[in-house]
Amino acid sequence: MLLPYLAIVALLIATVYSAIASFRQKSEPAEASWTFPAPVTRKTRVILCFVTLICVITIGAWFALSVQHTVRRSSRFLIPEGYTGWVRIEFEVQGAPPLPVDAGQYVLTLGADGSLKTSSLEQYGWANDSYYFYSSAGTRSISDAGPDCLIWGKINGEATGSSGKRKYEEFFVGTQQQFKNQGKSEKYSGP
Amino acid sequence: MLPFIIYFVAGAVTGFHVYTLLSLAAYGASFNALEFVSLLGSLGLLIAAYVSLFKPVAAARIALIAALAMWCFYGPAVARTIQTRFARPAVVSELIQWSADLRF
Repeated sequence: MLLPYLAIVALLIATVYSAIASFRQKSEPAEASWTFPAPVTRKTRVILCFVTLICVITIGAWFALSVQHTVRRSSRFLIPEGYTGWVRIEFEVQGAPPLPVDAGQYVLTLGADGSLKTSSLEQYGWANDSYYFYSSAGTRSISDAGPDCLIWGKINGEATGSSGKRKYEEFFVGTQQQFKNQGKSEKYSGP
Repeated sequence: MLPFIIYFVAGAVTGFHVYTLLSLAAYGASFNALEFVSLLGSLGLLIAAYVSLFKPVAAARIALIAALAMWCFYGPAVARTIQTRFARPAVVSELIQWSADLRF
C-alpha cells in the first residue's frame, strides 16, 4: 500500500524540480550548484550506462520468467441460449467432473441455472476467453467487449462454508442496462 | 547527479506502480487508458534521467512534459481517493452491503 503514495511523492518532486530547472535555466543560466549541477563527467556516464545495462538485462530476464507463469489456457464458456443473470463456476469440487479440453481451450458448459461445478483447479493469468450461447440449433458467439457486450462483472473469489473452502468465478450475462439493474432484484442464488 | 536520481527514481517508481495496476487486468480488473499515458510518462522520465547527464535543461523540459502527462492519471486518482475518504459513511455501508449480497 506504500507504493502509490511513494509514486505520488516521487512524481511531485520530479514535477517541481523539472519545472524550476526549466524556468531557472531559461532566465538565469551559468553557475552550477548541487541542486542544479553541470553535466556529469564522461567516467560517470560510462558507469551509469553500464549499471543501466545490467539492470535492463536483469529486469528483462525477470519479466520473461514471470510472463511464463501468468499465461494460462483460455476458456470457452457455453451458456444456455437466452440465459440472463449471474453465472457461477465452482472449482475443486470433489466428485464433480474435470473440465474437458477442446482445441486447446477449457470448455465450460453451464447448466440451465447458470452454474457449473468442476473438480478442475481454477486457472489464473492472461488468456483470451470466448463466450457462446448454445442450444439444440448450435452455438453463437457472445461479445465480451464493445457496444454489444453481454458479459459483465467478472470476478474470482474464494468462499468458506460448511463444505470447506470453495473457489469460484462469477460473471453476469446480459445487457449493460440489465447488469446495472440487477443489484436490487436479480442475482445468482445458487448454493 | 541529482536530476538523474530524481527523474530516474520517479520514473521507476511510477512505472512499477502503473505496471502493477495494469497486471491486475489479468485477473479481470478493468484498466483505464490513462494508465498507458502514465506508463509513457514514466518512460519519458527515464529518458529525461539519461538526457540530464548531457543536457540538464533539455532533460528538465522533457521531464516536465512527462510529469504533466502523468498527472492526467494521478491527478484524478488522488482527487478520487480524497473524495472517497471523506464520503458519507452511509453511502459506503450501502455499497459494501450491495457487494456482499452480490457475491454470496
